[in-house]
Amino acid sequence: MTESTETRSVGERTTSPEAPAADERENRQSTKQVGLWGDAWRDLRRRPLFVISGVIILLLLAIAAFPGLFAPGDPQAQDLSLAREGPSAQAWFGYDVLGRDIYTRVIHGARASIVVGVLSTLVAVLIGSFVGLLAGYFGGKTDSFLARFAEIFLGLPFVLGAIVILSVFNAGIEGSPGTVRVMTQVILTIGVLAWPISMRIMRSAAIAAKQQDYVNAAKALGASHSRIIFKHVLPNCLAPVMVYATIALGQFIGLEATLSYLGLGLTSPVVSWGMMISDSQQYIISTPHMLLFPAGFLVITVLAFVMLGDAVRDALDPKQK
Amino acid sequence: MRKRRMVAPVAASLSAALLAAGCGGGGGGVTEATGTLEDPITVKWGEPQTELVPTNSNDTNGGTVLNAMFTGLVEYDPETYEPRNAMAKSIERSDDKKTYTVKLKEGWKFHNGEEVTADNFVRAWNYTAYAPNGQQQASFFDRIEGYDEVHPADPDGDGPQKPPEPTAEKMSGLEVVDDHTFTITLKEPFAIFPETIGYEAFSPLPETFFEDKEGFAEHPIGNGPYEFESRTPNESLTLTRYEDYQGADAGNVDAIKLVVYEKSQTAYQDLQSGNLDMIDEIPTSALAGGRWKEELGDQAISRERLGITTLALPLYDEKFQDPKLRKALSMAIDRESIVKEIFNGAATAAEGWAASSTPGYEPGACGEWCTHDPARAKELLEEAGGFDGTMTLSYNADGAHKQWMEAVAGNIRNVLDIEVDMNPVPTFGTYQDKMDNQEMPGPYRYGWVADYPNVETFLKPLYGTDASANYTGYSSEKFDSKLAEADQAATEDKANELYLQAEKQLGQDMPVIPLFTNMVKGGKSERLSEAVMTPRNTPALTALKVAEQTQ
Repeated sequence: MTESTETRSVGERTTSPEAPAADERENRQSTKQVGLWGDAWRDLRRRPLFVISGVIILLLLAIAAFPGLFAPGDPQAQDLSLAREGPSAQAWFGYDVLGRDIYTRVIHGARASIVVGVLSTLVAVLIGSFVGLLAGYFGGKTDSFLARFAEIFLGLPFVLGAIVILSVFNAGIEGSPGTVRVMTQVILTIGVLAWPISMRIMRSAAIAAKQQDYVNAAKALGASHSRIIFKHVLPNCLAPVMVYATIALGQFIGLEATLSYLGLGLTSPVVSWGMMISDSQQYIISTPHMLLFPAGFLVITVLAFVMLGDAVRDALDPKQK
Repeated sequence: MRKRRMVAPVAASLSAALLAAGCGGGGGGVTEATGTLEDPITVKWGEPQTELVPTNSNDTNGGTVLNAMFTGLVEYDPETYEPRNAMAKSIERSDDKKTYTVKLKEGWKFHNGEEVTADNFVRAWNYTAYAPNGQQQASFFDRIEGYDEVHPADPDGDGPQKPPEPTAEKMSGLEVVDDHTFTITLKEPFAIFPETIGYEAFSPLPETFFEDKEGFAEHPIGNGPYEFESRTPNESLTLTRYEDYQGADAGNVDAIKLVVYEKSQTAYQDLQSGNLDMIDEIPTSALAGGRWKEELGDQAISRERLGITTLALPLYDEKFQDPKLRKALSMAIDRESIVKEIFNGAATAAEGWAASSTPGYEPGACGEWCTHDPARAKELLEEAGGFDGTMTLSYNADGAHKQWMEAVAGNIRNVLDIEVDMNPVPTFGTYQDKMDNQEMPGPYRYGWVADYPNVETFLKPLYGTDASANYTGYSSEKFDSKLAEADQAATEDKANELYLQAEKQLGQDMPVIPLFTNMVKGGKSERLSEAVMTPRNTPALTALKVAEQTQ
């Protein structure tokens, strides 16, 4: 199965544009429905990279949605007499320093980590790309203004900024604020503080793209700004931002852990991979399995998203067609 | 410049001298260099937060140095931490139980040759207490009569309102009788007062201090076993032994260099590679899994800290009114396992409300309530009518409390079936505010370090009605009256006995749950045969001894 898709996609890449691709193009012109995204989707389905990453991501989403199906135990169940015991038949991943089953905790920790990771990446990339696109496309005063504005956020150290934002919004709350509230705040905080990076990437890509002939051609034909931005500039700028987003995703899952560590992010009894990793740091020599399993899941997740990003970028990039 | 002795420092102490005799004295020649000014014993240190003056220095780094440079009326033995007279020949209490007559030992001199007289004490104490001088150690004198006149209380703490102007410059409770005698009058009788004045704040100050305070801060002159030699700010400070010291705790090493380290990790590595002789802190990375004990072997130093960690309960919250619930929580917590698994044995499970190494203390006041008994805990919770809703445990996230707090939460959750969530407060400042304003949403961690080596310091300030650190709102008439009775007691022993009885009342009411006492941890190099940490987590410089080398 895999092999056949492999050869097909390789075959497609190496063929000269005249033969089957020309067929396809005719095909497309005749149906006329297939746009940029449709084209990309058709392309994606044939890529093994996409299929593999897609399956992993779906599995992770299933774990995040129904952790009980994969690990029926209680992630908080603690037995100090089992503390730091290594992997065994009873506990596949071993026990942590409080004698809690690491497998159960990793499975139950997927939800918080994936939700925070994916949503904060979305927020950061959406804000950043939009602002960057405007700045890059319009240039001049708009650009200077938006770029300076972004630099304000860029100049703010992440941890300091997060402490200010989170402690201001939670001031005067009796006890610990609810999980949903904290999660939303963490996502927005990361998004707000991290968007300037994707803004800069998008901006430089947009500056390069707007000087292309096809943009000038569209302008000459009298296309509106919004049409040029979304139909011509954006698709040509997505690739670098996509790459950044997939890398940022892993980073943001880690940032969530930093915030939890400082007492600003998610707190027990919520479990997240970031918290598990930061808790296990000081036991790395004596109890490595405490770190390896949550870190392994984090790596797989990030890898899956990176592969997905790669595949989507290739599919979207018209130059590679 | 002083002439420096070139004799081997080991010969200075009696016990080391005996050791040397045992070895035939052959090593004496070889060790000559170690511990002298050319090759001083080095100790990890940190830059003190204030200038090195006993009236104003209240951090442990400053304390380490000042403790060696100054000797007050009373000192604490570095090994046992028992108080004993140092400069005081006698401290006698009058019949009204409020006035003490202090007789000083004669012939003691400051490092500059000035004789130490009663006036040096009284002037120094008055200077510290007088509010406009802004000395941080002022509150140490608040038991002395006339303190309120020289240091009126600020009506709103640290708030914007200014405290009223002092109406006197000197405390009326201090009076010089002659050169070597003075009297101290207290506001209220306090039987153990002489035990409480062993800290640097109660040091005498020489005439030169009052003449040139800035010069003094740069080159402090004390009357203690070690004198100031030189200092490079943010780098190091060197002390040399004061030859004419009259006291018992005279020190053994000729020269000690305190070296400033920013990171305990660096100091730890330097100790292992032989570049440093003593550290008073073990980095967290080495603490994990008890690694430091394996790495340092018999060079590791640890002893019980004179402090205690408790789980305080917000008695201002109606959910925590029933002592049975509080006892149920206490019995649900598995102290022994937490100490063993999380602290790797570097702590001891509490059996009462004071650190068990406190001189004159008998642990055990908590009795069965401090044992882990899940069945009994469940029964008690049922008798108390259960617990509604979620219990929120708070701790300050800037200390290393997360791990064991989660273990406590896990115990409560597993044993009592109560929903527990955590409330880490980012900074201790905010945490303190929440305690002050009685805003804690549930049980919270509380740590207390003794002000003086007596059980009283663990009781009255924490559980006395409206006491300075009573944040839980606990108030018990029986407890208060036992304490008052103890303060009035005829002898210190009698007072101790009554304090212990007062502690029993806490066992009935369980206003806070005693958990454990941490160890102070440090390490020494092979060049030292002996190095002692005080239970207040500072190196005891006078107890350092250079090892005998036998090549």
